[in-house]
Amino acid sequence: MKNKKTLANEEIKHLAKLSALDLTDEEIEKYGDQLSETLDYVENLNELKTATVKEAHSVTESKDVFFEDGAENKRSLKEEIVFRNSKKTKNSQFVVDRILKS
Amino acid sequence: MNILGKSYVELLGLLNSKKISTKELHEYFSKREKKYNKELNVFLTLAENPGVEGEMPLAYKDNYNTEGIRTTASSKVLDSYISPYDATVVERLKKSKTYVFGKTNLDAWAHGASTETSDYGATKNPWDTSRVPGGSSGGSAAATASYLMPATIGSDTGGSIRCPASWCGVVGLKPTYGRVSRYGVIAMGSSFDCPGPLSWHVEDCALLLSHMAGFDPYDATTSSKPVPAYMEKLNAEKKLKIGIAESFFENVDKEVKKKIEEALEILRKMGHIEKKIKMLNPKHALSAYTILQRSEVSSNLGRYDGIRYGNDRSFFKEEAKKRIMLGTYTLSHGYYDQYYKKAQKVRALIIEDFKKAFDDVDIIIAPSTPSTAVKLGEFKKYPFFGEQMDILNEPANVSGIPSINIPVGLDSKRLPVGMQIMGRQFDEETILNVSYKFQRETNFFNMRETLLKKYHD
Repeated sequence: MKNKKTLANEEIKHLAKLSALDLTDEEIEKYGDQLSETLDYVENLNELKTATVKEAHSVTESKDVFFEDGAENKRSLKEEIVFRNSKKTKNSQFVVDRILKS
Repeated sequence: MNILGKSYVELLGLLNSKKISTKELHEYFSKREKKYNKELNVFLTLAENPGVEGEMPLAYKDNYNTEGIRTTASSKVLDSYISPYDATVVERLKKSKTYVFGKTNLDAWAHGASTETSDYGATKNPWDTSRVPGGSSGGSAAATASYLMPATIGSDTGGSIRCPASWCGVVGLKPTYGRVSRYGVIAMGSSFDCPGPLSWHVEDCALLLSHMAGFDPYDATTSSKPVPAYMEKLNAEKKLKIGIAESFFENVDKEVKKKIEEALEILRKMGHIEKKIKMLNPKHALSAYTILQRSEVSSNLGRYDGIRYGNDRSFFKEEAKKRIMLGTYTLSHGYYDQYYKKAQKVRALIIEDFKKAFDDVDIIIAPSTPSTAVKLGEFKKYPFFGEQMDILNEPANVSGIPSINIPVGLDSKRLPVGMQIMGRQFDEETILNVSYKFQRETNFFNMRETLLKKYHD
């Protein structure tokens, strides 16, 4: 397939930033090509007229459901289990990197 | 006792009548794992505890949370993640007297149709180990085909049960969206994800579905419709009107087409009627699926930050990174209407298209995959190849209908050909019924006996 390169390298860099992913220069080039190819393919959706069609948000016509306040939650986890998979915890809290610099 | 090739249902009967013990079963399948897993690479983790007496072994795709057992989704992001709880499906199946035997390989995050994107190496196709098993539930399908397990559990977001079932030559059922709870299954495309069973035997899928299905307060998209007694309906007399849409046979390999036509001839002889129908081209479902699934992936994979569990985002590999970025793009300001909204509208058209078709016919039959299993490494040559291998599966995911893959013979390379039978929403009963009858009529052309000669005890 001939590439139109819908996504420029600058755009890939921006998307990587929004997605919190670090990419090498090589990756930026390669993903730009490949994702452009995918975007070219999905252009076939424009063969279908949809001006009067309402979007489908659910396939099985399900309704909103609510969990009652205070309802018993049998699946809440014990503290020790919640923290077992974390690499850095302190005083029953997760340790995260500082975001704001002083 | 000769266990090789026996169905889950049959083994359960022997277990219940104490003609066989859980200990014997565990030892038997442990022995087979030791003998063949190295060659096939289906198991990522084996559970440490053998089951309690009276329980049947089951293997789960490694995207199911299984309490106290490592769950990786085949990604190094979750390399050391130990599930703190059981997925609803696992919990239910445990209550139905099963235990977790092991966890099976998949494409990382279930992104793919070859099981080659796994961070733990590709699974091999038992029919020809130079080929892929399909994916993403490739580990579950290969374990089933080689009888390293009598039945396994997989998940189907865009063909991930039916594609590997087709290429490994086993039965694989994708239920209606909302029939089975997604709670505790590592989320990929949340509006598509469907847990389901795989086995050599249709009755196994019927029994396992009856245990897995039903409303779950922890998954708001599950249906409160009662779960039918699938096992009891397998033998019901049904004469069905089969819909055949030409658009589902475009670009399909000649040999695959021929096998499907032969299977259709058998169904006609069994008294079913065939009807040509017109349906939207599956390429539109493929496009809508791609946009919506990538969008949902970008949101679902946002939670992996390495803080509460797992490693940080630098552990994501190529396929996941590309999907996250494309989804970020299709949801972003300025492109939302052009992509996401458009795809949601096309999704509505596809749902309507199936509804209309099912006014006229009871089931729709198509190939599961356009070709039989391809060589390892083929997928890497074309970036969009994997998605295109699922083009015939994705319409069922986009519209939420149930669909089953059944084996219909071997091609000239001695590779399995898969046929899919799609049904009305929540009508798993009919597609299981016709599949079961087909199995009774053909014994699936002795494919199981043929393959298990290679994977003997």
